[in-house]
Amino acid sequence: MNPLILGIILLTIMAGTLIVMISSHWLFIWIGFEMNMLATIPILMKNFSPRSIEASTKYFLTQATASMLLMLGVIINLLYSGQWTTTKMFNQTSSIIITTALTMKLGLAPFHFWVPEVTQGIPLMSGLILLTWQKLAPLSVLYQIAPSINLNMLLTMSLLSIMVGGWGGLNQTQLRKIMAYSSIGHMGWMTAIMVYNPTMAMLYLLMYLTMTLTMFMLFMINSTTTLLSLSHTWNKTPIITMIVLTVMMSMGGLPPLSGFMPKWMIIQELTKNDNIILPTLMAMMALLNLYFYMRLAYSTALTMFPSSNNMKMKWQFEGTKRMTSLPIMIVLSTMILPLTPMLSVLY
Amino acid sequence: MMTYAVFILSIIFVIGFVSFSSKPSPIYGGLGLIVSGGVGCMIVLNFGGSFLGLMVFLIYLGGMMVVFGYTTAMATEQYPEVWVSNKTVLGAFIFGLVVEISMVVCVLEGEEVDFIFKFNGLGDWVIYDTGDSGFFSEEAMGIAALYSYGTWLVIITGWSLFIGVVVIMEVTRGN
Repeated sequence: MNPLILGIILLTIMAGTLIVMISSHWLFIWIGFEMNMLATIPILMKNFSPRSIEASTKYFLTQATASMLLMLGVIINLLYSGQWTTTKMFNQTSSIIITTALTMKLGLAPFHFWVPEVTQGIPLMSGLILLTWQKLAPLSVLYQIAPSINLNMLLTMSLLSIMVGGWGGLNQTQLRKIMAYSSIGHMGWMTAIMVYNPTMAMLYLLMYLTMTLTMFMLFMINSTTTLLSLSHTWNKTPIITMIVLTVMMSMGGLPPLSGFMPKWMIIQELTKNDNIILPTLMAMMALLNLYFYMRLAYSTALTMFPSSNNMKMKWQFEGTKRMTSLPIMIVLSTMILPLTPMLSVLY
Repeated sequence: MMTYAVFILSIIFVIGFVSFSSKPSPIYGGLGLIVSGGVGCMIVLNFGGSFLGLMVFLIYLGGMMVVFGYTTAMATEQYPEVWVSNKTVLGAFIFGLVVEISMVVCVLEGEEVDFIFKFNGLGDWVIYDTGDSGFFSEEAMGIAALYSYGTWLVIITGWSLFIGVVVIMEVTRGN
């Protein structure tokens, strides 16, 4: 892609998200979503293969439908209240419709089907943008309308997407699909706490972004997109195998690692709100997630897959990709659990 | 009278969308869109938005649909056989009509659906009472506001249109 065009498109993606985040007027939020969606299409279609064109068409259709639903909810809200402010939404119908639209944009179950399909069809870099940056705008709007969200609906959806994220990723061998399903599961955790304590959702988002970024960067070093090629990492960049294991365990929320912190906080917060069954179910369903992370880490770090002899000579070629920020991201996504007391800054 | 007209127009509006979604050919789909678009402009007109109705009619139908029709005529198949046969298409259309008619009958029977049938705020856009200096068209006020203190809205809209063109060129040029 022409660097000038790429610059303009990236600028528009960022401007769209920022307009959504800083606006207090529903029309501007809608405009920001549309800008963001339009500019994302060429990023997803970077290599012009039929698969990526299909993926970006699917992305376009779901996002356009969600934008349309958002507009419908906004207009119903306008009809009943006569104002465009985001925070004051007293009409139940429009609140439900807007929440549906945002969860559709986010890829929450039962609107999750597009996430693995789209992520699998696009390059790793685009997948990284899709699963991190693109979550910011809908989550920030959910954050703003949190007091008026229908709690039962959102909790049902988030529990459902934790289940789907766990079960969907179980038998996958494609890394991008695994990442997509894990993203669905993490989105479920974020939205589960959204009404009770939006700050916790932001905390979870921060940790999710860090870990997903690290994971995708690890994949990008060797351009690995399958479990098999990840299991051949040992003769190319052996240290990566151990790091993949650690970051994966962190994503699954294993205690000494930093991924445990947001899950811990969310479970505590839900329990404080007299919610016992929901966090229990969520924690149990997160085990499914942990299982497929463990399966991935197992075949990467703990076994040596059979391979042909010339595959074992890969170590002779020096890697060309330099990831300067990777060490920092690895440390952030595995070792900041002791910094949990700093949470008091967030309040 | 106006309510009656808008009611009839709304029925035609939905029929246009039913035909649009039941016919797989993009050209005839475009025809359905034109019907719905034209009728939609007339509905807007009935609400008092004469300028908006005219604009949408000229730009959306006059400009975009002509280009759409031209490109589909050049690039796509006129009678794609994606559905089984003509009878299936006709059946889908009739099914849509039946659903719409039953909806309309339900709305006319039950009076509780106030919002759909009675068209609250019909003709609301016509005048704007300023208090001392008389009446204005609310639409003209809105357009004036758009260009005076809605500067950033216009700038962002213009940028989005530009980006739309850039994205279309980038996506369709291949590699």
